[in-house]
Amino acid sequence: MAEVEARQRSGVWWAVGGIAVVVVLGGLTRYLEQNVPVFTKGTWLGGIAKSVEYPVYAILLGLLGNAVLTGLGFRDRLAAGFRTEFFIKTGLVLLGASINFAVIVKAAGPAIAQAFLLITLVFGFTWWLGGKVGLEPKLRALLSSAVSICGVSAAIAAAGAVQAKREQLAYTASLVIIFALPSIFVLPLLVDAFGLPSAVAGAWIGGNIDTTAAVSAAGALVGEEALQIATIVKTTQNALLGVVAVALTAYFALKVERTGDAKVSGRALWERFPKFVLGFLAASVIATVFLESGGDKAVITTVNDLRTLFLILAFVSIGLEFRVAPLREAGWKPIGVFASATVFNLLVGLGLASVLFAGFSG
Amino acid sequence: MSAEEGVGRERRLAVNEDWAATVVGLVLLVLVLAGVVPGWLVP
Repeated sequence: MAEVEARQRSGVWWAVGGIAVVVVLGGLTRYLEQNVPVFTKGTWLGGIAKSVEYPVYAILLGLLGNAVLTGLGFRDRLAAGFRTEFFIKTGLVLLGASINFAVIVKAAGPAIAQAFLLITLVFGFTWWLGGKVGLEPKLRALLSSAVSICGVSAAIAAAGAVQAKREQLAYTASLVIIFALPSIFVLPLLVDAFGLPSAVAGAWIGGNIDTTAAVSAAGALVGEEALQIATIVKTTQNALLGVVAVALTAYFALKVERTGDAKVSGRALWERFPKFVLGFLAASVIATVFLESGGDKAVITTVNDLRTLFLILAFVSIGLEFRVAPLREAGWKPIGVFASATVFNLLVGLGLASVLFAGFSG
Repeated sequence: MSAEEGVGRERRLAVNEDWAATVVGLVLLVLVLAGVVPGWLVP
């Protein structure tokens, strides 16, 4: 008993150490983001430094920290402090404050249409392809949810719904991050190359990149309006997570495992609903009312700075959490399915965003 | 810890993080709007 308690206590200290690592690297990111353009002004590096934004520093420092801590043998013990989901969700709740509620209402129609169509098509494609190459049904469900909805959170919800193995969850989460990292940089470059308007770019990014953190990073690289629309689209997808998780629970109980025990109730839906979506909406309402009633606009700038701090902590955590090992164990088939589904998602997502968000203005 | 317990634990943690993020985010927002957290305090 005493031994268990001692182990739990040391686990807490390692987690606190992990959070300290994230905060230190986050502070360094903020310092670099604000000072590198000043230091390099007037040199050949100046132009590049000016266009490099905080997601780039944060992810690179996270990856560097990951390599150092792995080398020292501390990474896995500190990992409990790398709370990407908490940091990103807090950042997104704060992001709600910078979006006028009217914009959310206006974007809700096309965002729901896009999320619904994209989830249905991409989930269907991934499920079909996974079946074609003979993937195990639970892994199929995890991969399909992760690629079509919202990455790691969707994989966690799907894992709960279909009672997947822990390794399958770890594997899917690794795939999500491996594919999300390059897309943070590639999608903004493609947006530039295609000359997409910012609302379409935001909707494309929000509908495509799997992890919510990476969506924010890519959106921030494109611009403020793209970030707002990307977040609305991604948050809508997040909100549909509960529906997919409940449908999967029912499907596995009735068809795959035939236990006949399918809990399809309002309670099950609520349990899987990502609650931060409510915080995001509430923040938008509070800030809109505050500004409409004559509140100081400059105060929102402080909220935006706080939001950036939380997003920085999330991006640092993404870099720190990155792992290659689970991928080596599972072989090429799931990677092939995930890669094909990502390409399919990119193409269908671009088509839907171009149609649904054409002429959109906040 | 069995695989099922592990997945269950991950899910509970994700649910708790959802609420924690919502509460922390909204509390910070209200503190800033009320002027309790001034701009110079946020780097």
